Amino acid sequence: MTDTAGQPPEGPPQDLPEGASRRLAELENGLFTSDLSVNEFLLVKEAGFHPVGFVMGSSIYHTGIQTRKWGQSQELTKLTEAMYNARELAMTRMEEEALELGADGVVGVRLDVNYYEWGKDAAEFIAVGTAVKAENGVSHRNKLGKPFTSDLSGQDFWTLMQTGHVPQGLVMGTCVYHIAHRGLGATLGSAGQNVELPNFTQALYEARELAMTRMQDEANELDATGIVGVRLEEKSHQWGSHTIEFLSLGTAVVKTSDEVTLPRPTTIISLDN
Amino acid sequence: MSVPAEAPGDLPEAAVRRMGEGAFTSGLTVPDFAACLQMGLEPVGFTQGYCVMNWQWYGMSPLGGGGFGYQWGGVRGYSETWNCPHGMVSAEHRSWGQNYEQSWVEDAWATGFSTAYARMLQEAASAGAHGIVGVVDSTSPLSDMGVVEFRLQGTAVRVIDGDPPADGRPWSTYLAGQRLTKLVEAGYAPVAVAASVASVGVWANCVTQYLSEGSNSMFGGATPGAEITQLVNAQMMARQIATQRVREQLGGDSLHGAAMTTVQHERGEGDVEVECVLRGNRVRRFREFDPMPAPRPTVRLL
Repeated sequence: MTDTAGQPPEGPPQDLPEGASRRLAELENGLFTSDLSVNEFLLVKEAGFHPVGFVMGSSIYHTGIQTRKWGQSQELTKLTEAMYNARELAMTRMEEEALELGADGVVGVRLDVNYYEWGKDAAEFIAVGTAVKAENGVSHRNKLGKPFTSDLSGQDFWTLMQTGHVPQGLVMGTCVYHIAHRGLGATLGSAGQNVELPNFTQALYEARELAMTRMQDEANELDATGIVGVRLEEKSHQWGSHTIEFLSLGTAVVKTSDEVTLPRPTTIISLDN
Repeated sequence: MSVPAEAPGDLPEAAVRRMGEGAFTSGLTVPDFAACLQMGLEPVGFTQGYCVMNWQWYGMSPLGGGGFGYQWGGVRGYSETWNCPHGMVSAEHRSWGQNYEQSWVEDAWATGFSTAYARMLQEAASAGAHGIVGVVDSTSPLSDMGVVEFRLQGTAVRVIDGDPPADGRPWSTYLAGQRLTKLVEAGYAPVAVAASVASVGVWANCVTQYLSEGSNSMFGGATPGAEITQLVNAQMMARQIATQRVREQLGGDSLHGAAMTTVQHERGEGDVEVECVLRGNRVRRFREFDPMPAPRPTVRLL
């Protein structure tokens, strides 16, 4: 693999390990691997797709350091870029594996960050999912010609298709933000009073909104009509309590039909325990 | 707790920009998203409201002014005292105890919650939404900063071919998807989320101290187990106060899906803080109940 630390990826990297290529070549002979549960597998088939292989991408990234001002709330843009680029690299490699299999998309994508004792300032970003292909031969790749990616489960994937929406891509936005420390004067000024601290509120609010705006920008690039299953995650990783990464994730979708073909809900009594 | 009629106009610039963009965002699960579409609600955007409060649970004066030390006089609301049944034993003996409503904690909670709620409503209103579904609220301390953040998030929706609320204020509900569908099918419409907190401090007398520390007798002899009346009363009053506050918010409406959470913070030597939060959905009947079909017995293939 090439060393791309600190550089944004330019096009899909053609740098899969030899083991990956060999494994994917075996899958092309008809055998498939999948981390779908049995119920998920059935519903993916019901939606008109079949799994072609378990795909993954990984990137070990040195996230670097950035100077923070003790008393000033600010975005740490270098760290934001690093966290974004590392995930993007992992995602792109996973998409590349899916392309190798001729897949139309990847469902059940999970994005994880792991830290190891042997690399204190480095983190491994991993993306895994199950590549799927349409059974009717119609391409479901997105506007960029890539397999769609989605963190939806098999059940959610089927349900979404019944609402006249199809996934376009797993979109994300991130923002690493330093929350200012309070000075002695400010601390003493609010001592004994339960009052709003507008600077803190604004800083956290701004950071979350920036992450969400970036996620929406990614969706707009895919000409998506919406993003479903949005979630906001917050983690300080190894930076200390005043520096937080806000990560916004969701599946960009495009509307292909106004018809919702879900059966009308009926009341049931479960005979299971 | 009451929610301000007018939301504060202090959303971050990024929030205003985001809500004006093209693609909708939805924090709903896909089944909830599908159920909303099926009942004629289209998502407009993921909305959020936050408020970070300076937070001091203990030792505050309810009279304001930032004084420290426990307040024995002038407590607003519930207050009850306990005397020692033993007479003079020693200077350390807790010959007196008190339960008291911590109105300063309740006021701070109400301010934090209602400010965050108003901001979430403002985001929804600015996006032209009619309501907010799937509201989630949480309160969490920000690590070592000595502050508490109130967070409210939900998915703003528009009723397809429907009129906006008459007062321009979006309705809100903790419900989404099938649970919301069932509510509407039963003839009720969501009005607003309802929430309140009650906080009762317990300054333990000798009996409460000994019983809560596991000794049945101050003089070492074994005695039968006994109810700790002071703590029981504190728990009951916290629940009653929270319930009463939510009742005051309802007007002529009903409360649906109420969830009560009671937490006891130990302060040592029998002293505790009891905090009770009650949440629910304020709903209004708009048509008569239309009975749903009889349920069908089903075996799931797990």
